[in-house]
Amino acid sequence: MAASAVSNPSQLLPLELVDKCIGSRIHIVMKSDKEIVGTLLGFDDFPLSLVLCSYLPFLIFSEITPEGRRITKLDQILLNGNNITMLVPGGEGPEV
Amino acid sequence: GGGGGGGGGAGKMADKEKKKKESILDLSKYIDKTIRVKFQGGREASGVLKGFDPLLNLVLDGTIEYMRDPDDQFKLTEDTRQLGLVVCRGTSVVLICPQDGMEAIPNPFIQQQDG
Repeated sequence: MAASAVSNPSQLLPLELVDKCIGSRIHIVMKSDKEIVGTLLGFDDFPLSLVLCSYLPFLIFSEITPEGRRITKLDQILLNGNNITMLVPGGEGPEV
Repeated sequence: GGGGGGGGGAGKMADKEKKKKESILDLSKYIDKTIRVKFQGGREASGVLKGFDPLLNLVLDGTIEYMRDPDDQFKLTEDTRQLGLVVCRGTSVVLICPQDGMEAIPNPFIQQQDG
């Protein structure tokens, strides 16, 4: 963790927000047309390289294919953070 | 040891040179302002900047995401959705600008037909 990150103490640090989301629902948007909605179990600190989502209460993996939107239900997933674009705490995910 | 992790390596280098990690972009002037962010992969979003870190991870509030369809090039209002409070991954960010600092213009590169 960079020691010089405290430039403005009243701002909200991104990793703090992700940390607060542990144990609750999170919606993850990838660079491509893939999205995941599930419960955040934990994440790797630097540089947010791994995200673990569990099935409680559900884990949905949504992707856009040439045929349309395909939804897969999974139990647990270990997600590589390389392709993550956005994380939405408490997000509902794409409209089904 | 040469097999140290990437995170540990960066930290050790900073200690050795006693150099503060300065960002070339001072995002603190954008705090509480609406910014537009473009990502690798073609996604775009805009929102109020609430926080950031040196790795360029961002916290945006009231986020609107714009998605690009393959058949309509780029239309702002076609596919948008409200995301609310989001964290944007710094490694995916390619552009940051103030929301009111840009406007759409007609394509200047279309060749004009003479006559």
